[in-house]
Amino acid sequence: MEKAKIKASQMFILVVLFEMGSAILVGLGVQAKQDAWISVLLGLAGGLILFLIYYRLFKYYPDIPLTSYVQKITGKWIGRPLGLLYIVYFIYCATRVLRDFGELLTTTIYTSTPLIVINSLMILTIIYGIHKGFEVIARVGELYFSVIYFMAFVGIILIFVSGLIHIEYLQPVFEYGWRPVVNTFLKQTITFPFGEMVVFTMLLPFLNDSKKVKIACMGGMILAGINVAITAAINVATLGPELFSRSNFPLLTTIGKIQLANFIERLDVLFMLYLVIGGFFKISLFFYAAVAGTADLFKFKNHQNLSFPIGFIILCASITIASNYAEHMKEGLEVVPIYLNWPFQIIIPTILLIIAFFRNRKKKTSTS
Amino acid sequence: MSILSKILKKKQKQRKDDNYRQQQDPQKPEDLPILRDYKENISRIKGEFGNSNDIVIREFIHSKHRGALVYVDGLADSRVISDFILESFNENEIVADEIDYFQFMIEKAVALGSNKVIYNWNQVYDSMLSGDTVIFLDGYNKGISGETKGWEKRAITEPSTQLSIRGPKDSFTETLRTNTALIRRRIKSPNLWIESMKIGTVSQTDIAIMYIKGIANEKIVAEVKERLNRINIDSILGSGYIEQLIEDQAWTTFPTTYHSERPDVVSSQLLEGRIAIIVDGTPFVLTAPAIFIQFFQAADDYYSRFDISTGVRLLRILAFIIAILGPALYIAGTTFHQEMIPTTMAIAIAAQRENVPFPAFVEALIMEVTFEILREAGLRLPRAVGQAVSIVGALVIGQAAVQAGIVSPVMVIVVSITAIANFSTPVFAMAIAARLIRFVLMGMATVLGFYGIMLGLMFMSIHLCSLRSFGIPYMMPIAPFNLRNQQDVFVRFPLWAMKYRPMFISKGNVIRSGENQKPGPPKQGDDTQTPKGES
Repeated sequence: MEKAKIKASQMFILVVLFEMGSAILVGLGVQAKQDAWISVLLGLAGGLILFLIYYRLFKYYPDIPLTSYVQKITGKWIGRPLGLLYIVYFIYCATRVLRDFGELLTTTIYTSTPLIVINSLMILTIIYGIHKGFEVIARVGELYFSVIYFMAFVGIILIFVSGLIHIEYLQPVFEYGWRPVVNTFLKQTITFPFGEMVVFTMLLPFLNDSKKVKIACMGGMILAGINVAITAAINVATLGPELFSRSNFPLLTTIGKIQLANFIERLDVLFMLYLVIGGFFKISLFFYAAVAGTADLFKFKNHQNLSFPIGFIILCASITIASNYAEHMKEGLEVVPIYLNWPFQIIIPTILLIIAFFRNRKKKTSTS
Repeated sequence: MSILSKILKKKQKQRKDDNYRQQQDPQKPEDLPILRDYKENISRIKGEFGNSNDIVIREFIHSKHRGALVYVDGLADSRVISDFILESFNENEIVADEIDYFQFMIEKAVALGSNKVIYNWNQVYDSMLSGDTVIFLDGYNKGISGETKGWEKRAITEPSTQLSIRGPKDSFTETLRTNTALIRRRIKSPNLWIESMKIGTVSQTDIAIMYIKGIANEKIVAEVKERLNRINIDSILGSGYIEQLIEDQAWTTFPTTYHSERPDVVSSQLLEGRIAIIVDGTPFVLTAPAIFIQFFQAADDYYSRFDISTGVRLLRILAFIIAILGPALYIAGTTFHQEMIPTTMAIAIAAQRENVPFPAFVEALIMEVTFEILREAGLRLPRAVGQAVSIVGALVIGQAAVQAGIVSPVMVIVVSITAIANFSTPVFAMAIAARLIRFVLMGMATVLGFYGIMLGLMFMSIHLCSLRSFGIPYMMPIAPFNLRNQQDVFVRFPLWAMKYRPMFISKGNVIRSGENQKPGPPKQGDDTQTPKGES
């Protein structure tokens, strides 16, 4: 494993950028219509509880990543394949985000550019970042954190000034009852984006002060969750629940509506700026987790050598993962949450925690 | 690693060692002692220098003792030699036998600023070639080296590349001693330490490392020394050589050491805990470690009030962004994102571009390359021809080019703005980096519009964040972020509020000023404003 050390503030920023990453871009919780923001906040609450599970696991093994302590908890014969599965899961997640990202650009702005061109340039940039190491990624995060907040600030002001906000679109709350909200929460928001914090089980050992893990990560999740909820609410208030639930990329539609003094209009670039930054960090962290896991599992001394082959896998998979966008979305909404996210983010960590709890209790009683 | 590659590596290493030895042997320092017979010494010098006619050998007889003095004409001050050495020989005084003649010469006869006794040939060549006079006395296997340095030097003039409005107007010269003196005059502290060394197996260039003991970080001082000691090259002809040989990252366009020709700037860097490297023969002094934002801090920022200097600094950063992005944004806007441009303006641009036969990228490339050629030519032209080039240049990237239908007027504006913006970066090394990056981003914009530009910028940020200068992250107070060190980044704090030195450089001693430095009107009840007697 790389010998990187990052500060708590850097970890915080990485968590925020990672969580917001693509969650702001795609319509999160659209099934809940105007109550999307409630399901996002519910997801945040669920995500925080999930993070406590990861945090407990980290507490038991503060110096090693998930792929190592899986072996310590379940033994070598179950642990190693399980670690491998996690690596594949991380690669798959990175692939999905890259595809989302490429699809977004090809369907909106670069309609005649092939997907592979867009994706390969993005992955090249990310490979360069991975090659430079985790510390550098954290620093780049700090650099762009303020840029993102500046853009968000400008964007929100412009939306308000253009008079696009209709609070009545957000009412009535719970028009269809609590069922769709809870349904969205369980099927989507708890796992995406908040359950994806499982990536940080690979990255927490890099923090230089292990006492600050809780505040850095949970603080970051809360900030990101609130931001995503605000974005969802603004989207609904601008577009109305019907258009919001039909739009592929509600935020892009919202930004497209900005019109001010016949001069400031068509600010798609703001959106694209955010897209590249958010996409970069989301893919980078999944990618880095996969690289770190592989290096850890197969005892590679130099993680840099892995960045290119794994990057290439991600690129190829992002093209072949689905034949078109509709298929990609259907997989993402119906298959992935239940058959991948639930087991990897919730079920396996919970089982691991229970086993770890008993193992460590046994150890404690035997030593005392 | 396979066995084969191990063997290969071993062989390579051996070959390297052999090469190294071959190179080293002929230039092995002469450890031979000085001979008792002064004639033999003289003939040795004649032989070694191949009868070069700037070597002056003057034999003399003084009070029954024979001897010779040797110096290099042009490096030594011949007036000093005749006044203070030869004069004392002509007095025809007889030195008593019981007095050691050698001791007499050192103490009485050679009335120079500093004399030292030398014993071997290495020292002889050293002092001769640095302008000192060597005296051989018959019967002594040692010599005297008297300080008579005095070659033609350029006077201290106004800085030619880093101008300032309110700051001091002196600048460094090619002479190392003058340069160290310029700094010493500003920092009158015994803690200002100078360490010297010679680098360059043939050129034997004098190098001085300056730092303030107690402020500079000892680890970085040691690192600088180690890197300088590691240099094994035949010659150092300028501080640029040193810069390229001690960088952390060789593959980068961004400068990772700072250089300045202003003594006030170097002094302020020293006071922040940096280390200055002065190279004899170059009016540019290197300082390290350097951080990115440093290249946007000009000397005038500190001589004018903080609000103004903050504004100006932000302007410089904006200019840097324009210098990087200008043509790229034009290309992306006209080829990919026409909808971004306000409609009337888009129509105007389209109408102008109607007659232009080239795509935007080619158009931009023609103009940018032309401008770069003009600029490069302008640097090297004899003064007399300079005016001609500026007239021709104005035609090429001006009205004539537009009328000929090669480029559109908007393109001319874009190129001009970019060029002017590029000149506002205070340090040339950073400005030149921007020039190179601009072309890369133009290419990216051509392929993928704003997305390409964004990826290019992302690539650049990763690169910048990965750079280090003597172990200090290049983007230091911004990424990794450090709240206490934001006093001199985007906003230049008022001097009374800049309490700390950059902490990442001088670890430990970081307090710069005392408490309550904020000036203000006299306290109430103090009668300093109204003259006494009036009240």
